[in-house]
Amino acid sequence: MLVSPPLLVSDAPSEGKNLHPLRQAIRACEASGARGEADVIPLGVPAIDDVLGGGLICGALHEIAAPREPDIAAASGFVLAFAAHASRKAALWIAEDMALIESGAPHGPGLDALGLAPERLVMVAAAKSREVLWAMEEALRCRAVSVVIGELRGDHAVDLVATRRLSLAATSSGALAFLLRSTPPSQASAAATRWIVGPAPSMAPHGPGPPCFAVELKRNRRGPLGAWMLEYRREQHFRLASAHPEPLAQPALDRPHRAARVA
Amino acid sequence: MSSISVSRQRILSLWLNRLSTDRIVRQGLHDQRKAAASPASSSPAASPLAVAGKHGNVERLVAIDAVAERRGLRLGLALAEARAMHPDLTVFAQDAAADARLLDGIADGCQRYTPLIAADPPDGILLDIGGCAHLFGGEAGLAADLASRLNALGFALRIAIAGTIGAAWATARFGPAMLQASGEERKLAPLPLAALRLDAETVAGLARVGLKRIGDIIDLPRAPLAARFGTALLRQLDRALGREHEPLTPRLPVAPYVAEQRFAEPIAREEDVLAVLERLASRLKSALERKGDGARHLELALFRTDGAVARIAAGTSRPIRNPQDIRALFAERLAGLADPLDPGFGFDLVRLCVLTAEPSPPEQIGFGGNDDAAELDRLVDRLSARLGRRRVTRLVAQDSHIPELASATVSAQVAPDDSDWDAFRAFRDTADLSARPLRLLAKPEPIEALAMVPDGPPLRFRWRRALHEVVAAEGPERIEGAWWSEGGPARDYFRVEDKTGLRFWLFRHGLYRDTKTPLWFLHGTFA
Repeated sequence: MLVSPPLLVSDAPSEGKNLHPLRQAIRACEASGARGEADVIPLGVPAIDDVLGGGLICGALHEIAAPREPDIAAASGFVLAFAAHASRKAALWIAEDMALIESGAPHGPGLDALGLAPERLVMVAAAKSREVLWAMEEALRCRAVSVVIGELRGDHAVDLVATRRLSLAATSSGALAFLLRSTPPSQASAAATRWIVGPAPSMAPHGPGPPCFAVELKRNRRGPLGAWMLEYRREQHFRLASAHPEPLAQPALDRPHRAARVA
Repeated sequence: MSSISVSRQRILSLWLNRLSTDRIVRQGLHDQRKAAASPASSSPAASPLAVAGKHGNVERLVAIDAVAERRGLRLGLALAEARAMHPDLTVFAQDAAADARLLDGIADGCQRYTPLIAADPPDGILLDIGGCAHLFGGEAGLAADLASRLNALGFALRIAIAGTIGAAWATARFGPAMLQASGEERKLAPLPLAALRLDAETVAGLARVGLKRIGDIIDLPRAPLAARFGTALLRQLDRALGREHEPLTPRLPVAPYVAEQRFAEPIAREEDVLAVLERLASRLKSALERKGDGARHLELALFRTDGAVARIAAGTSRPIRNPQDIRALFAERLAGLADPLDPGFGFDLVRLCVLTAEPSPPEQIGFGGNDDAAELDRLVDRLSARLGRRRVTRLVAQDSHIPELASATVSAQVAPDDSDWDAFRAFRDTADLSARPLRLLAKPEPIEALAMVPDGPPLRFRWRRALHEVVAAEGPERIEGAWWSEGGPARDYFRVEDKTGLRFWLFRHGLYRDTKTPLWFLHGTFA
């Protein structure tokens, strides 16, 4: 709609003075609005959250690769840990058939143990990597989806254009998009972050404890890079894995007997 | 006695009297064989063609073409005799399956006239055209249209229309005229008794006592006839005359909702098909709304001008009515077809059927309410239409302690909303289940493992050619198969971690006590 021109002309001398702060205010609104829209999922580790600007940003594409093919379980665990802490909407895991055969299909009880309710998950198996990318884009356009994970084997078919499309789709919907790869990709990509996630020896003194990850941030649009060892517990999210002792058991005298607890 | 028609059905009986030979000519097999036999003499003079099948120990002619019939060959003639009479006879082996497929295809094409169609094997089709003949210019117009379409495809045929299945069948095969309006009794009287669809034995028995035509038995006393030849004879007679109702069993279920569009000029482009589809869907929408129904399974039938029919089905995860949704569903379906739609010379009839409808309450059109579930269903439908129903799944908890059965994958379109994961969580907490892997292999993979103590975890193992040194282990958790199934010996599961931090779920199949060398398997991986 047009404002009547005579008014503008009469105000012409003061235009620059009045409009400049107005423009600045609008710009500030836009900037804060954009930042407000883009939620983050904090890892719970201040060192990493600072580097990422608060946490892993929603409405963006993140590329997470395993260093070697057998490490894919650790990488998928890392991705699902974020999915578990994203909003309670549906999560889609779109994988190539070959990936599900070679690395195994997600197992409901295992997902639940990691914190992702299996009710939320919709699995999609695709024959080709092209179909994985298509399905990811479709899923990212859906308002009812908060997390989209696309799993690809090998190092093919995802070029800059494809990742750019996925990033744009994720930005428009605000969903968290992951590209999970079995080997580190070599091509350039438009992803907001790129991680290499492998397993790390667990810190628990007796037997395999909670999942541990050796995490390397290879690319970050918002800040510096780094490498950390993380331990994941369902309730506390991540924490830096250090040589901390296991919490000691209570002295034996007050400890309720197990049989009594069961009874 | 007046013939009382019990129903108001009008049956068109189509008899493709040379189905087998027409098929061979259409496929070009006859020309090939002729060319191979005598490449020099490419005389257009037609050579006889016959199809032979084994009856007992003798090869007999089961189908012959018009040329063979003119030259004096008859059905049932032994093949050796036929060859002696006509050395230039071309003979093909009988292929009942191919004939049945062809008949099925023709029946599909006839679906353009009416949904009530029954195959009448081996070489006939029955159409109930009651109430729809006026759409094609009356019964004569419909018959002429059908005949011209099939003649153009190279099929010989005979058509009769009557008030009962029996009368139409008889007239098509034995009657003089092509059409019959009414008065079954008078028209059927001169036809031979075989026209009543009787078995050969009964016909021969009747012939022995001098009864050869239908007219001969119409006025005979019924009791002696039934006593001598059985009640089947009288039932067939009554059915032909319309004294007893004979229902037609359609070959495809009749859809509760149908909308269709015919074109004077065939359409071929996919966009046109989708535009027509949306128009049909909006016509269906009002019908569905009136009854408070929504579509769960839809079928799009595209009738090509040359008689072929492409049927494309699509399912939905909740009842839908919205034309745009239906269009989007079929757009994905068409894009995902393995072999793209071949329009040939175009489609001249497009029909959209709702195969399954379910009650769907009228929707409150949203004030931005919680329609996430509907949105997700729409996404699931789109993905299922493109990739296939079985590729879009949800995990459903099962009441089983056997790991591979505990979590089932079910098509997301049919998965229940309340999958039993809460029950699983309660069970896990009370039974104090040990950890379950994040990813489970479809089939446990055998590994070479070395264990220190008989019941202990392995010290090291080799999986997919890589050696893993176990540094930490948890277990065993013993899982027995169900007593009613032959699950084999018990499995002892261990959760182990190797030097690099990889975590695996292994099991020993069987105990050292029972077997000398139990096998080890890897079943899943942990994060």
